[in-house]
Amino acid sequence: MPSRRNTEPDPLRGSIDLLILKALSLESMHGWGIGARIQQLSKGRLDVNQGSLYPALQRLEHRGDIESAWRTTENNRRARYYSITNRGRRELGQQLDKWKRFAQAISLIVEG
Amino acid sequence: MSAWKGLAARARSILRPGAAEARLEEEFQFHLETETKRLIGEGVPPADARRRALLAFGAIEGHREAMRDERGARWFDDLRADVRSAVQGMRRNPGFILAVTLTLGLGIGVNGIVFGYVNSMLFRPVPAHVPEELAALFTRDAKTGNTGGFGYDDFIDFRDRSGAFAGAAAMTGAPVNLVVPLVAGTAAGDMVWAEIVTEDFFSVLGVRPAIGRFFTADDAPQGGNPFAVLSYDAWQRRFQGDPNIAGRAIRINGSEFVVTGVAPRGFRGMRLLAFWPELWVPIGMQPVVQPSTPRLLHGRGGGPLLVFGRLKPGFDLERAQAVAAEFAKQLEAAYPASNTDVGVSLLPATVGFENPAIVKPRVLMLASALGVVGSLIVLLIICANLAVLQLARTASRAREIAIRLSLGCSRSRLTRQLLVESLLVAAPGVALGVAAMRLASPLEPYLSPKFPFQVGLAPTADIRVMFFTSAIAVAAIVLFGMIPAVRAGRSRLVPSSISGLGLRQSGAERPSRTRSVLVVSQLALSVILLIAASLFVRSLTMADAVNLGFEPRNRLVISMNVGLQGYDQARGLQFYDEVLRRTRLLPGVLAASFAYPSPFDTHDRGVRFYVDGLANTRDGTVFAQATFVADEFIPALGVRLQSGRDFTTHDGGEAPLVMIVSDSLANRLWPGKSAVGQRARYGSASGPDVTVVGVVADAKFAAVGEVTTRRAYLPLKQRYRDWETLVVHTRDTPGRMLARLREVIGGIDPSLPSFGAMTMEQAVANGFGASRSGVAVASFFGLLALLISSIGLYALVARSVADRTREIGVRVALGLTPRGVLAHLMRDGARLGLIGLVMGLAGGMALARAMAGLLLGLSPADPITFTLVPLALTIVIVVATFVPARRAARLDASAALRSE
Repeated sequence: MPSRRNTEPDPLRGSIDLLILKALSLESMHGWGIGARIQQLSKGRLDVNQGSLYPALQRLEHRGDIESAWRTTENNRRARYYSITNRGRRELGQQLDKWKRFAQAISLIVEG
Repeated sequence: MSAWKGLAARARSILRPGAAEARLEEEFQFHLETETKRLIGEGVPPADARRRALLAFGAIEGHREAMRDERGARWFDDLRADVRSAVQGMRRNPGFILAVTLTLGLGIGVNGIVFGYVNSMLFRPVPAHVPEELAALFTRDAKTGNTGGFGYDDFIDFRDRSGAFAGAAAMTGAPVNLVVPLVAGTAAGDMVWAEIVTEDFFSVLGVRPAIGRFFTADDAPQGGNPFAVLSYDAWQRRFQGDPNIAGRAIRINGSEFVVTGVAPRGFRGMRLLAFWPELWVPIGMQPVVQPSTPRLLHGRGGGPLLVFGRLKPGFDLERAQAVAAEFAKQLEAAYPASNTDVGVSLLPATVGFENPAIVKPRVLMLASALGVVGSLIVLLIICANLAVLQLARTASRAREIAIRLSLGCSRSRLTRQLLVESLLVAAPGVALGVAAMRLASPLEPYLSPKFPFQVGLAPTADIRVMFFTSAIAVAAIVLFGMIPAVRAGRSRLVPSSISGLGLRQSGAERPSRTRSVLVVSQLALSVILLIAASLFVRSLTMADAVNLGFEPRNRLVISMNVGLQGYDQARGLQFYDEVLRRTRLLPGVLAASFAYPSPFDTHDRGVRFYVDGLANTRDGTVFAQATFVADEFIPALGVRLQSGRDFTTHDGGEAPLVMIVSDSLANRLWPGKSAVGQRARYGSASGPDVTVVGVVADAKFAAVGEVTTRRAYLPLKQRYRDWETLVVHTRDTPGRMLARLREVIGGIDPSLPSFGAMTMEQAVANGFGASRSGVAVASFFGLLALLISSIGLYALVARSVADRTREIGVRVALGLTPRGVLAHLMRDGARLGLIGLVMGLAGGMALARAMAGLLLGLSPADPITFTLVPLALTIVIVVATFVPARRAARLDASAALRSE
């Protein structure tokens, strides 16, 4: 539902989606793992409210960018694992491009 | 792919909100536990770790809500609220719901049944491969224009050489004696209709057997094998749907036949309005199936075969007709003796066909028109009524809606709420309609024309029609229920809020123009339908009053066919004698004799007489209908002897040939002379001599409207027939006497089938066939229409009374008497009623003139109809306006004033 995306230009929401997709592009993970990975990738500089990951995960799944299934963790617990779909990878590529262009433009203005 | 997965995930979470919630909780729990463990691993004390994990997670309820919203749960919550408020609204307004439910239920149910019946009679295509390509071929007498069947040789030539058909088949019907061995309860034979068909019958149609196979040109060249194909219905009923039916043996007229297969469900042969064959046998078996009829497999220039074919690819009816007509000319040149003046006529056979000489196309067309137009009119009335009800309701809710809008309810929200309400309001009615469809089978006997044999017209309530009616009716409800939303969109200022909140209510002074127009047109349409129904009923009762020329009261008929049992003439006559001897001994029998055809039988026979010097004939002969009777038939049949004598047992095979003639035949053959003692010759100047011994009054044998009643009664012993009808004049009850008659016949030959047992009055009634069904259809539609429009009128008046309660209170307070209130309120309703009545009468008169041909001697301006219908409608109008108005008249002024 691209129109929905356009009607909600919430920068934070957009960036959470991007971060989740980026995290999942390496391997499938459960919700906590995704949060931990984002923290780790940002070297602790991005402190996302952990619970707000879940509405984002649900939204991405409904959109078809990721999918999920129950699996067992190494500690033998049941957990919901998320993985990126092909559509999600394409989406990630586009979002990254957009993000880079945006960042370049901002830095041109700010630094120039 | 992924997008689909996403949609599936969304659908799952919407459809199973419980599962989505459970998953969410489990994930949250897992997250918190894992985070707690991590913190403990980092050395945080356990109690503190849990708290910090919760903190990092953020507002847990907020996340839950966010996820629910995203899933669309809110949409459902709103929907639930809409449903709840709609149900509350419905509870407050039970009268409205009742009216809508009745309208919808009756409309959907009865329309589905009645139209379904008409449809199954007249419009359902034969379940064949591309039925649009099928066409029926009739011979057409170039001089008289009469259409008829084919002789076998001509059929073969048309099939193989005319170039009009890709394939063609021929058929002729025959009643047969079917004995099913080894099945309990069928020890005695049963008379069933068989269709004798050419071997390519099924392949031309392109139908597939439900079980087994059909006989084909390969294994039945000219069909000369004792094969039989059962109808699906016969298979179910007589063989309990035995899956191993193929290969089983049955006995037809005493000979063994092998069942090769079962025709598909719903396939009932190619006849439009006649019997439904229970089995099909190859034409080569005709000598067994029709033992007393000449061989079929030859003949030109007309014959008993009904022919149909599949048009050549790319041919339309017109082109095929031209080709066939050209070929008929070639046959005429080649066989001048038989085929002179024999042209052809091609008719569409998509839904089956009938010989247009027997079933008049105009009658068929009128019957179809009645079915379709009746159904559509009822549908219109239903929609108009629903519109009236909805408009009345929304008008009285203008205030509530105005308040809602002014409080900021969005238009889309309002639209959705009204939509939900409309659908909910429609639901019980649709349910009632579907339930009413179950009435189809009890109604069936009233709708089907009756024949002496089981004909199986199988009128089934039509599901498609039901859906169609429901869809249109529900659309009407929704459409008119949406009007406030549309109005709200048109003007954001919501003008009605002012009047709605103030003293005056808009539209309350008088029922709105739209509603009035709708009610008037409903009433007018109902009147038209009622007039049609009444004219049909009247034409039937008129028919009863017509002098039939014989006395149908206290008389029973039962037919038997000894030819099918292989009796020869001597044995047949012996059998007839024995039946008469035993019958006349039964207590309660006043007279008994044989007559074939008896009055209002489905068949008739003719004979030609030659009399010297006869005027106005081509070859000196005159055609008369013939009835083959036993001795003492006059008291048994109840015809009136004008002069001469009845037949006696002495008028036998050795005695001189005698006959009894009807008045009109006597006048035609010997005008101005006494007929008794006169002589005529059978067939031609060289035919055998026959002497008139008696003259009886003209009697109507075929139809009440019948004109020609020239009839000769011939003694059975001199002109043998192997199919006769026993006619008994009795003072006993019909049921008991019929049982005794069956015992008598069964006592002489237990395997002889008897059929067509009924009272003579039933036979006469059945003679009306099509028009009788027309009566039923028209009556159902008419009464339904009247009922629905009276609901509409009632609702309109009731609503306007409710809206004017305050006004009435003021008037009463100012001294208006209850009687005055009544008159005041009824005036509006009565005015609308009268306008509707007058318009309906005008339309009804036009319709009556159009259907004059169906009205057997009844004037289209029938005074009784045009008195009774207005009277009935006046009563309905008075009741529908009086009841709600009286309620208002009883109102207490102060209560009425406080009603706002």
